Amino acid sequence: MTNLANIHEDAESLLMGNEAIARGALEAGVNVATSYPGTPASEIIENLAHVARERNLYVEWSANEKVALEVAAAASFSQLRSLCAMKQVGVNVAADFLLHLGLSGTRGGMVLVTCDDPGALSSSNEGPSRHFARMFEIPLLEPGDFQEAKDITKWAFELSEEIKTVVMVRSVTRVSHASGNVRLGKLPEDERHAEFKYDGLGLNADEGPAESVPVGEKHRLQQDKLILATKLFEESPFNTYQGPEKPELLIITASAGNLYTREAISVLRVEDRVGLLKLGTTWPLPPLLLKRYLSTTDKIMFVEEVLPFLEENVKILAAENAREIGVKTFYGKNERTMPKTGELNPDIVISALCKILKTDYIAMDPEYEKKFQMPFSAEVPDRARTFCPGCPHRASFWSIHNALQMDNRKGFVCGDIGCYSMGRFSSGFNTTKTLHAMGSGAGLASGFGKLAQFGMDQPVLAVCGDSTFFHAVMPALVNAVHHKSNITLVVLDNSGTAMTGFQPHPGLSVNAMGDEVPEVDISKVCDAIGAKVEIRDPFDLGETQKTLNRMLEDKQGVKVLILQQACALSPEKKHTKKYEMSVDEELCIGEDCGCNRLCTRIFQCPGLVWDNDKKKARIDEALCVGCGVCSLICPAGAIKRKEVA
Amino acid sequence: MDERDKIKGQNELQVTVLNTNLCTGCGACIDLCPYFKSYKGRTAILFPCTLKQGRCFAYCPKVEVDLDELSQKFFGRLYDGNPLGSYQTIMISRAGKKIARSDFQAGGTVSAIVYFAIKRGYIDGAVLTDRDGLLPVPRFITKPEDVFTCASSKYTAAPTLSALNQGIKDGFKRIGIIATPCQALATALMRSNPLEEVNFVDPTGLVIGLFCTWALDFRSFEEFISTRVDIKKITKIDIPPPPTDTMEIYMGNGEKMKIPLDEIRQLIPEGCSYCIDMTAEFSDISVGVLEGHPDMNTLLIRTERGRKIVDEARKDGYLIVSDIPKENLEHLKWAAANKKRRGLAKAKQEKIVNTLKGDKASYLRLNTETLEKITQMTGRSS
Repeated sequence: MTNLANIHEDAESLLMGNEAIARGALEAGVNVATSYPGTPASEIIENLAHVARERNLYVEWSANEKVALEVAAAASFSQLRSLCAMKQVGVNVAADFLLHLGLSGTRGGMVLVTCDDPGALSSSNEGPSRHFARMFEIPLLEPGDFQEAKDITKWAFELSEEIKTVVMVRSVTRVSHASGNVRLGKLPEDERHAEFKYDGLGLNADEGPAESVPVGEKHRLQQDKLILATKLFEESPFNTYQGPEKPELLIITASAGNLYTREAISVLRVEDRVGLLKLGTTWPLPPLLLKRYLSTTDKIMFVEEVLPFLEENVKILAAENAREIGVKTFYGKNERTMPKTGELNPDIVISALCKILKTDYIAMDPEYEKKFQMPFSAEVPDRARTFCPGCPHRASFWSIHNALQMDNRKGFVCGDIGCYSMGRFSSGFNTTKTLHAMGSGAGLASGFGKLAQFGMDQPVLAVCGDSTFFHAVMPALVNAVHHKSNITLVVLDNSGTAMTGFQPHPGLSVNAMGDEVPEVDISKVCDAIGAKVEIRDPFDLGETQKTLNRMLEDKQGVKVLILQQACALSPEKKHTKKYEMSVDEELCIGEDCGCNRLCTRIFQCPGLVWDNDKKKARIDEALCVGCGVCSLICPAGAIKRKEVA
Repeated sequence: MDERDKIKGQNELQVTVLNTNLCTGCGACIDLCPYFKSYKGRTAILFPCTLKQGRCFAYCPKVEVDLDELSQKFFGRLYDGNPLGSYQTIMISRAGKKIARSDFQAGGTVSAIVYFAIKRGYIDGAVLTDRDGLLPVPRFITKPEDVFTCASSKYTAAPTLSALNQGIKDGFKRIGIIATPCQALATALMRSNPLEEVNFVDPTGLVIGLFCTWALDFRSFEEFISTRVDIKKITKIDIPPPPTDTMEIYMGNGEKMKIPLDEIRQLIPEGCSYCIDMTAEFSDISVGVLEGHPDMNTLLIRTERGRKIVDEARKDGYLIVSDIPKENLEHLKWAAANKKRRGLAKAKQEKIVNTLKGDKASYLRLNTETLEKITQMTGRSS
């Protein structure tokens, strides 16, 4: 990992968007940084944790985003500068606190960085986060490239401290995870002292208690802050324009839309016809600036991802000022010029521009496109998403799925968020049947488990990861136990927050900065809540399934089965090999009756390969990590495992 | 080849047998492969198998059973619908002096014959049904004395044939099987080499069929019994031969509970109502109770290898036989004929007898003459 504190000021460095954001925070003198892992935000805290000791930062992976925001707010109330980072859905979790934080205001500069995932490349939704800024009346800034990722983040702290409210900085995957050149600034040397002053009068922003009440006064004060921000936004260098004075078409964009649009304009060579207004301050909108540019033409196009946030805000402003600026023709999502779902890319913008400007552009000769597609349909095999070789989830879902089939009462599993979300697909034997938000599996199960009085006799299970357990499952578990819901919760404990990059969580003994910390014991928590708890190794298929069948037949209350086995990519497991695996071809039944390729067709570990010439299974020595589980499922005993010395 | 075409795979088996409640849990499809498992008496499919033809379908006694074909193979003639099936002799029997009295239930004929057959090497192992608490479990034994651990009668359906499948995999060549009629039928299907495997050798040494009017679904039975008695206290379950009409549950402390069979009959799996075989017609020998004589058995000898073993057992003092009283024989035929007629009527009602090519799979196939004969059957001796 790059040491972001080690690159000296004025150097130009190739940085990932998230690295640029982290560097921006460092240049602003951030003291405390908190987060809950979530793609595409995770690298921000990882980079800050990396330099925590040398820059005297406190960096925390909090139990969930709400707590993370609260911890960062505490730092701000104590006159420190703090940053809280999360993916788009994290803002939903933090929302209750964020609403009240907007009212109470902040003290030391505080920045909430949200990294959205348009197109749901690594999410179970592509929900909005920008709307929270408008709804909760706080300023919103959006970097349109990598330099701005750093500069806007740095400035956000100054803005926050000036108007005394939390500032939202919104990024997306293609800014956070892509890289570009960034010229660095200076790292400050001043130290801040933490003190929470609370003896002042109620409405004293710096020294009174930190509270959202009295709501009337606080709300008015909050709205005054936005008016101040708007004035600053009129002059902001983050709102840029390029193009003719009187363009045929004005494109208003922000964030990654900036990158797509610039490329589209360049490809179509319409720089003389199209004006590009890139906004970095997207809430509240600076009205004078916008009126100025809206007056230059009748045709206005919007380029932004998923919901028409920017589009509708500008349209409201345009409607309010129509007498002054004239009536406009808009080309946005509501006119179906641009899609309302999914990520954008230069091709989509090019296609829309061609229709508006009535120009032609052929990206690829159709004949060539056909030729190009052919190998994909003929040669390239269908590769579904799958668990890694040695993943404990494959073994866990094997046992859960089979226990349910043998139980034979149409039982089902409520899924949750993590690598094990793939329990939904063939890799997880299509075991899970619901998928929503963090902790929703247990919550839904708590509900399903109460429906016996209406004739429901299907066994109910839920799965969750160890990190998910602390994030959101605990209240659902309390609910289930207290209300005597008949369910089995399976905690897939692989010793880390694996899906997002193996960050630590409260169940581990090491924190973000590498310090030793007390572990919170999941089995003791479940026990204290009042569930019946058992712990098994998911690699012991027989024991795990037997335990599950017993729990499925127990109709009284909440059963918790903790399946403990470290993730194959965890630091303790990676680069180790417990068994040397091999296939005895004499014994392998292969495609015939008695096997029908159970290991390669159903179990589907990438370490197992079907040799189509020999018609036998074999081990891919490069991929196999030697967990040994496949030898337990082979009906012919053809897969052998030998313990490595 | 035409005949082999009728054999399908797992998918069709699921549709025609499991989904229609025809399955009686005989275990013929269990442990052939990883996809079929039995748990607490119910047959479950773990994963889909894509093979077009499989042994599971071929061995299942509830789909594509050609009675004429089987009868031809084992008895040299078409299926004639005789209430007791094809047999050489029928007699009554009980365990001889060489078997201790305390070791078995009813007449002890089955235990005695199995003990003798293993001891003398007629069979190299035996497939029986043991018990784990209330749950019957398949067991494969190789020592003669082990037969007594499985000696008590079980009344809930058990996937006993899974132990046969395992025994074959383990390389045993002359296996003895104690089978209910559906299990004996599945064994006969297996022995007929339906998938025409090259170098096929019959791995059985002796098939002992048990009389059966019905079995009980384990899960329903467990639930039913647990509301009346503490299951852990049960030491023995018995349904004495007619004219008694109760199930007797013995508890450790000498207590005995009687439950009228009318209450028990609701726990019979639907598949049993299609069965036309009361005396396990496709076995080497068949054994059942003898009405009015709780310490004796009825014994039918059907094949040459069955006769040989029974003769030797008798000569060596392991078995005592005598003539069957006329009333018992008449009543047995009457009961068997009724079951045959009822089962066939139900199958005809569901249109799964002699189905046409291209239609859904048939459960039974038999010549029309016999089909008519059974339909008219009343049990009066002819």
